[in-house]
Amino acid sequence: MITIPYLTALTTYFSYGLLFAFGQFRDFFRKIFDWWHASNLQGYAPICLGLEDFYIRRLYLRIQDCFGRPISSAPDAWFDVVERYSNDNNKTLKRTSKITSCLNLGSYNYLGFAAADEYCTPRVIDTLNRFSPSTSSTRVDGGTTTVHTELEECVANFVGKPAAIVFGMGYVTNSAILPVLVGKGGLIISDSLNHNSIVNGARGSGATIRVFQHNTPSHLEKVLREQIAEGQPRTHRPWKKIIVIVEGIYSMEGELCKLPEIVAICKKYKAYVYLDEAHSIGAVGKTGRGVCELLGVDPADVDIMMGTFTKSFGSCGGYIAASKEVIQYLKYTCPAHLYATSISPPAAQQIISSIAVILGEDGSSRGAQKLARIRENSNFFRSELQKMGFEVLGDHDSPVMPIMLYNPAKIPAFSRECLRQNVAVVTVAFPATPLLLARARICISASHTKEDLLKALEVISKVGDLVGIKYFPAEPNKQHQEQITMKLE
Amino acid sequence: MYVKAVPPTDLNRNTEWFTYPGVWTTYMLMVFMSWLIVLSLFGCSPGMAWTIVHLSHFLITYHFFHWKKGTPFADDQGIYNGLTWWEQIENGKQLTRNRKFLTVVPVVLYLIASHTTDYQNPMLFFNTLAVFVLVVAKFPHMHKVRIFGINADH
Repeated sequence: MITIPYLTALTTYFSYGLLFAFGQFRDFFRKIFDWWHASNLQGYAPICLGLEDFYIRRLYLRIQDCFGRPISSAPDAWFDVVERYSNDNNKTLKRTSKITSCLNLGSYNYLGFAAADEYCTPRVIDTLNRFSPSTSSTRVDGGTTTVHTELEECVANFVGKPAAIVFGMGYVTNSAILPVLVGKGGLIISDSLNHNSIVNGARGSGATIRVFQHNTPSHLEKVLREQIAEGQPRTHRPWKKIIVIVEGIYSMEGELCKLPEIVAICKKYKAYVYLDEAHSIGAVGKTGRGVCELLGVDPADVDIMMGTFTKSFGSCGGYIAASKEVIQYLKYTCPAHLYATSISPPAAQQIISSIAVILGEDGSSRGAQKLARIRENSNFFRSELQKMGFEVLGDHDSPVMPIMLYNPAKIPAFSRECLRQNVAVVTVAFPATPLLLARARICISASHTKEDLLKALEVISKVGDLVGIKYFPAEPNKQHQEQITMKLE
Repeated sequence: MYVKAVPPTDLNRNTEWFTYPGVWTTYMLMVFMSWLIVLSLFGCSPGMAWTIVHLSHFLITYHFFHWKKGTPFADDQGIYNGLTWWEQIENGKQLTRNRKFLTVVPVVLYLIASHTTDYQNPMLFFNTLAVFVLVVAKFPHMHKVRIFGINADH
């Protein structure tokens, strides 16, 4: 639940209204200008119809330098950001050859595998020499190597399901699997804040889509009851299949899903559960097995578990883990398996090695240390930010923490000022988040040391004062001391 | 001082911002501010200023709510390309609180404008025409209706 100061809501609407009005004015004059000067389209239709690219041209391009910054090193705790400049007011950006070393608060590097690792990297290079970077084939033709079969077994064991199938790209995993699992006559009930890949997959499947209020199991029950009672849209026949799609950690909120209640409701009404653990696999849970371990849900209760390897394993690709029959069926029908190139062998080896480190099978306790460190880092950072008066979302133990900005002008201000102080943050605005709720999203990594976090806190506090985003009253230090002494008593 | 924002179940990003708290207040404040600005710019009588505000409100809201179709985002892939903003809000459900509010605002503006001009012609004629067009366009029966095929293409 997000708490907005009322005045901030009013000023945010007003700012967006002003930006919209300016954009419309400029479009209006541009139309007159273009009508005056003849066009050289020669009877072809324009690529964009009317309104379609309004947001990109008039709002996004104004602050384009805050997004898509190129980096020139591995995304470790500190990385090199390439400087850019613009001569035409941010419409085009040109790269320079100067780089600045910045603290990385934006990469999904939860366990620190994004940079060279003493166990993983030699094995990856070895696989690269043996197998070459690409298999140059689809899985069914010639692209299944021993690394792939080992990876699928490894993933299935790690997640706790009988079998798994692996794809080369995480986004494609969702958008190519959903059309195969459900078709016309089926029902997909998805959380209102689900990721774009799920929305696209659901739209491509042809099934009817209904949305339930974010993380509210009671509303899910209401929607399920209503839909089961009504049946398919015009014929009112019973649905062929009902799938409920939720995510483990919602990347824009940092919240954990209320999995036990949702699984209980789905069992009651006999709907399938599809859990997208892109951000939670490897990052939460005592041994890193994701949100099921953290919340105490038996993996056998979740019908299909999906995840990606980009976040905690430092690689690329996605997986689906389910029962043997489902995985066998997917291997016959999923277009991403039949027609897309298989995952690159060194990337697959990176996943196998990082899972070995996490489980402690490499003989050291680095995995357990990393998991403990990311938990400590996230909890420390979140509590410090909240003490300073920022509005930080996300649950306890979650490594994703969005800091609310709200006003559209604060987005480029926060981003640019932090970059000037050598801290790189990712800011997210409309349309990835709701209109009012623009935020700066911080991803904590196990490779951040205490000094890094303290420097980040200092910079964010200074910039927060300049930009004016400390919406809650800051807790003074004395109150903190008093609380500690009272607890001791 | 603080309000709670519950994320709505509307997937259409063009319209879901209207369900958050503070929209109604911002709308009314903007109308009032524009009356003050018109009054200070043109130096006319308050009634004339309300008539100007009412008529420009009519033009702006008619253009953006009932004429322009589609969404300003390309990744909606044109699924709302045949629907105006009024037809898109709240997934086409009629007679919700937001729709009732938006129907009442032009009527209230009309009453204020015609009262402060003492119901004189020609302002009364234009004001009445404006409020008639706006209110009829918002009827539930006019959902997806295109009279004489005007504005029916994508």
